[in-house]
Amino acid sequence: MFKPFIIFALIFLTGCTTVVIDEYRRSDGELRAGDSVVILGRRHSSDYETEPDLIACVGRELHNPEMGVNIIPEKEFVDIMYPWFEPRTAPMHVRSLDRLMENEGVRERMENYGVKYIVWIDGSTETTASAGSISCTISTGGAGCFGFGTWDKESDYEASVWDFRDRELSGKLSADAKGTSYMPAIVIPIPLIARVQNNACKGMAAQLQQFLVPASGTSS
Amino acid sequence: MKYRIKAALPLHFTAVVLFSLLVAACSHTVRVEGKYPSPVGEQLPLSVGIYLSDDFRNYIYEEDSEDREEWKINTGRAQKNLFETVLGSMFTNTVSLSEYPQKVPDNVELVIVPEVRELQFTMPRETRVNIFEVWIKYDMNAYDPRGQQVASWVITAYGKTPTAFLKSQEQALTQAINIALRDAGATLYTGFEKVPELQAFLSGKLRSASLQEFKVKSSKAE
Repeated sequence: MFKPFIIFALIFLTGCTTVVIDEYRRSDGELRAGDSVVILGRRHSSDYETEPDLIACVGRELHNPEMGVNIIPEKEFVDIMYPWFEPRTAPMHVRSLDRLMENEGVRERMENYGVKYIVWIDGSTETTASAGSISCTISTGGAGCFGFGTWDKESDYEASVWDFRDRELSGKLSADAKGTSYMPAIVIPIPLIARVQNNACKGMAAQLQQFLVPASGTSS
Repeated sequence: MKYRIKAALPLHFTAVVLFSLLVAACSHTVRVEGKYPSPVGEQLPLSVGIYLSDDFRNYIYEEDSEDREEWKINTGRAQKNLFETVLGSMFTNTVSLSEYPQKVPDNVELVIVPEVRELQFTMPRETRVNIFEVWIKYDMNAYDPRGQQVASWVITAYGKTPTAFLKSQEQALTQAINIALRDAGATLYTGFEKVPELQAFLSGKLRSASLQEFKVKSSKAE
């Protein structure tokens, strides 16, 4: 009788996460029909890398053609613009776009794709602390694990929104998320995972949506 | 006697299996097979021959130092694809050469020959940073049709990828190598005209082409 309840509880039990979003807005978003938004990860730092799955997650959450938000997938955009958006060659400042637009091929492709905004996301998710231990044994009588493990994760991302057509910085967003995961093991390990990166992604996507389509924040 | 043979066979077999498992656990094989996009931009007005040697096309890096696990990394196919794609888009005409310095077609003005000088990689547990890193260094050589060296320059490429849940070391390293190869292509494309000898060679070609154009126009006017 309790079996389905236990299974549901295990599926929905997750560690706690807190997300803090900050925003600095210089101008409101103005997406017209046919406009597109590109979300790219910064990968120039030597000691961390903005995760491609975080960029894909923000793109997935934001993509909503009915509301006029068309997201060009990162891989597709970087491939059609090769080699101008590689970690070594990507423009670091809005004013560098002017020089890039001197390249006729790049300019044509940008116009064909209707790129209005380029969103650069920089940051990463890291495990900051871990404690506890779990030991597992296998014997002729069976197998089992006993112990307790816990670990903390922190996400720290910053998104810069560039208005490609007006060649200006439209604003910046930051998402800081923290969470602790637990893994008690009594015969079977039960992971209670805090989805820190996923929550940072969702928080950032929701804020970006309000940024790019200001009407969406008031209507919903 | 029969009993002895029966008992010995499974023991040997188990030992062999265990030994092979142990060896396999310490050796890794990676075969990189990437496809790369063509660069966006104007083509340089040159007819170029591309010679990728057999060593280059079948390049395998073997890590056999005592303090590291055994690695065999085959980047031959991927780097062949990359150089053919990037160089093929950079110039108005490109010819793939099967032999060099023999059999160079008459219309070829420059022959480009890349060689791998070095490949290095680091794993997360070596650097204590959660990323796989790869460096590849290429020696680039450019020759005129008579075989005289026009330029020699070095391309250094870097690629990294974060460790990801349930991703094997081989997959992560393949991804880092693909990123390094894309970086090599980007450096080759954006840095070609910055090599002083090639800059001089290109401006010489452009000067002679415009001089020829001027001669044709003036003979027509006469």
